[in-house]
Amino acid sequence: MRKSTFVLSSLFLAASLLLSACSNNSSPEAASTATPASSAPGGASTNSAASSAPEVVPAGALSEPFTATDLTKLPAAAQKRTDTIIVGLTDPSGAFTPYFQESGYDGNVSSLLYASLVTVDDKGVPTPELAESWEVSDDQLTYTFYLRKDLKFSDGSPLTAEDVAFTWTLQYDKAYDGGSSLPSLKVKGGEAYKAGTAKTVEGIRIIDPQTLSVTLEQPNATALVTLGSNVLSKAYYGKDYKFGQLEYIKKLHEKPLGDGPYTLEKFIPGQEVRLVANPNYFKGKPKTEHFIYKTTSGDAWQFLETGEVDYASFPATEENITKLKQLGYVNILPYTPSTYGYMQVNLKHEQLKDKRVRQAIAYGLDRQSIYVDAAEGAGAVANIPASPISWSYTEEGINPYKYDPEQAKKLLDEAGWTVGAGGIREKDGKPLSIHYLASKSKSSDIFIAVAKENFAALGIDFQPEIFADFNSLVSKTESGDYDLVSFSTSMLTDPADGFMQFFDGEITDYDNPKFTELYNKALATTDIEQRKAVYKELYQLFNDELPVIFTNYKKTVYAYNGRIENLSVSPFIGLAGSLPNWTLK
Amino acid sequence: MSAYLTKRMLYMLIILFAASLLIFCLYALTPGDFITGNIKLTAERKAELREIYGLNKPVLERYWTWMSHAFHGDFGYSLAQQKPVLQLFGDYIWNSFLLAAVSTFLTWLIAVIIGVISAYKQYSWFDTLVMIAIFAAMSLPSFFIGLFLIKILAVDLKWLPPGGMTTTGSTVAGFAYFKEVVQHMTLPVIVMTLLGLGSLTRYFRSNMIDVLKQDYIRTARAKGLRERKVLFSHALRNALLPAITLVGFELPALFGGSIIIEQIFNWPGIGQLYMKSFGLRDYPLLMGFTMFLAILTVIGTLLSDILYRVADPRVRL
Repeated sequence: MRKSTFVLSSLFLAASLLLSACSNNSSPEAASTATPASSAPGGASTNSAASSAPEVVPAGALSEPFTATDLTKLPAAAQKRTDTIIVGLTDPSGAFTPYFQESGYDGNVSSLLYASLVTVDDKGVPTPELAESWEVSDDQLTYTFYLRKDLKFSDGSPLTAEDVAFTWTLQYDKAYDGGSSLPSLKVKGGEAYKAGTAKTVEGIRIIDPQTLSVTLEQPNATALVTLGSNVLSKAYYGKDYKFGQLEYIKKLHEKPLGDGPYTLEKFIPGQEVRLVANPNYFKGKPKTEHFIYKTTSGDAWQFLETGEVDYASFPATEENITKLKQLGYVNILPYTPSTYGYMQVNLKHEQLKDKRVRQAIAYGLDRQSIYVDAAEGAGAVANIPASPISWSYTEEGINPYKYDPEQAKKLLDEAGWTVGAGGIREKDGKPLSIHYLASKSKSSDIFIAVAKENFAALGIDFQPEIFADFNSLVSKTESGDYDLVSFSTSMLTDPADGFMQFFDGEITDYDNPKFTELYNKALATTDIEQRKAVYKELYQLFNDELPVIFTNYKKTVYAYNGRIENLSVSPFIGLAGSLPNWTLK
Repeated sequence: MSAYLTKRMLYMLIILFAASLLIFCLYALTPGDFITGNIKLTAERKAELREIYGLNKPVLERYWTWMSHAFHGDFGYSLAQQKPVLQLFGDYIWNSFLLAAVSTFLTWLIAVIIGVISAYKQYSWFDTLVMIAIFAAMSLPSFFIGLFLIKILAVDLKWLPPGGMTTTGSTVAGFAYFKEVVQHMTLPVIVMTLLGLGSLTRYFRSNMIDVLKQDYIRTARAKGLRERKVLFSHALRNALLPAITLVGFELPALFGGSIIIEQIFNWPGIGQLYMKSFGLRDYPLLMGFTMFLAILTVIGTLLSDILYRVADPRVRL
């Protein structure tokens, strides 16, 4: 009897976990999505105007931050706390060393424990942090970083160029198994070091204790932010380092030594991560002494309602917003993450190689109903591979592909797919059928319900297949047996990240010299205005070509205890940027 | 008996070996591995990582490596958590055990009491009420009961904490800590007890009804023994005998954790961890934990056989 309950519950849970892992209808997903932390620079933002709200994007019923109306309603538990702020976080595992953690939740923790050389502002533009300034050589190959004076790790030991060089070198070790994108930057001599034929990475040069430079083999505009990530202490993490052996570092995961606003006080697996303000933080000790990440795998509503957490995120549905407003004691911030949703298209399949068929699908799917109306306003329709909050976002010259079945039919006719027997379109005797894959979630259910009707109206035979598990979905996709698959990107810091998957990622079949040329052109310069112009061209190209079919942006709201002041959330680095300034009134 | 034990031990080893091979192959055949899910990686990096983790080797070779390490007490590193698997067990299993042990004890205690009474007073109003309540409890999904109780007792009335094992940020120790944990486990224990209670009560009730109809009970009553003595030392003892086989099967459940309950009440148990690891295809942890449960199951069956023999001398082993 126990057993059958166990199996049933496992199935149910497998489904619901996936739902929360891969969909936008999930329950609150804590501080950020599960993106490998190394891709997003952690640490605090240099934006001193931390009290200013982030970019306001209309979200459901909420288009502007909402301020708590009645703080007396605040639960006693929250009222009692005077020097502690508690934030929910799905599942920190305790691997707090940057570059070595496998989950983005650990990244949320380490982003408070470690500062980075360079961070990004609310628009994703690089700004100085541990590095006071930097220079990029004219050939865009050599980056020289100038560190601030008197930087210290939390134990009081000095932070110098040696530490930065060690951090970079470590990621070229052949045993390095983390998800950092630094090894793909092609630092000069990196491959030789990895192969064991060189004792050091040639391109990394320490000029003086506060200056170092790094030379790349080819220009890459994302290099600045990638190189400018967290710094590991050489004295601490490099003490036992031998080339090819990184096992020892695992023992240090739970005893992090960083230079960020907070230091680790205690990690209780499955329960909480206790942090305490770091007096050696280069911007001064944070205003609130204690900060706790509480593990909340379930519903965060109950914890916000009982005052056990001070901050949580929710999908920006009308219902959620009304309910949050009624609580009276929370401030609400509307927010759009720096991700986008898309349907990967199998470009190997004859029918989808034709641009007109892809466009017909974009026109013929009622994306507004699926992603905005059915989500009660907690979403928006996407048409380019960038989020509206990015500095590169534009709608100029972008086709919105408004729902237009007539236009879709016209395109299919043009492409030679004519309506045959049974109302299904045919070409050369082959019916037009679409095999669609998605993971199990509420939004997939909605998609399938609407898409069935939409596709039937176009004369397309629609065959959905649902996977209970994200890994199985990806495996099936890798096997090539599909026409369309729904995915969402992880957090994108640089506009180039939005294209990465087409360039050297999993979408290998999109082969367009114009794209490659523009992609490289955008990476070959660090001038924001120049890059903006190139990205505009790229977005227009993708919007027309649709190598993937863009679907949606998510919209969420952050609700937090009305006593917290100076809180803001950056779409790129989460709450780490403003956290040192948070105070309890 | 000792010859029997030796034989049993040998069987157990063979079963475990077969089980481990089967489980390993099943996991290896599940589509996707730890690296598949990370769609940000390039194809080359994926290949590199598979090489580092040994995921590109043939299944039997991987099994052999795993097995030989396991024999030396090394269950490997969890890929997702970046910690030794055994350390993770230590971190989570005892929390699950605490919850399961207390609720199992309560379930058995209450089920025996209610079962005996309702069997003795079969078709009375008490029996009818109990049966209705049992069917109600059995037909409600655990997450519903859980969320309902959280809403009423934690959010609205604020009598009990809504989840977790301790108050966040609490630094209490000693008796205060004990009190805090008891407070936090009250709700999940109630739900788990309610869920287990239904079937077990029915089980005891029908056993007891069977026994009460036996000749020896009639004989005992005819001899003029007091009803209490008839009921508790003659009837109950015999009615409990079949239940002893159940005790052994409870063993893996005690350490296995309850995924749903732990999820709803935010309890830091192994069930949740296991489920997450499955989604991520964290094989070392999955293998380690599944084997651990297999070992417990085998030991549990042995234990119930022995207990059965102890309880009923007629049983020959």
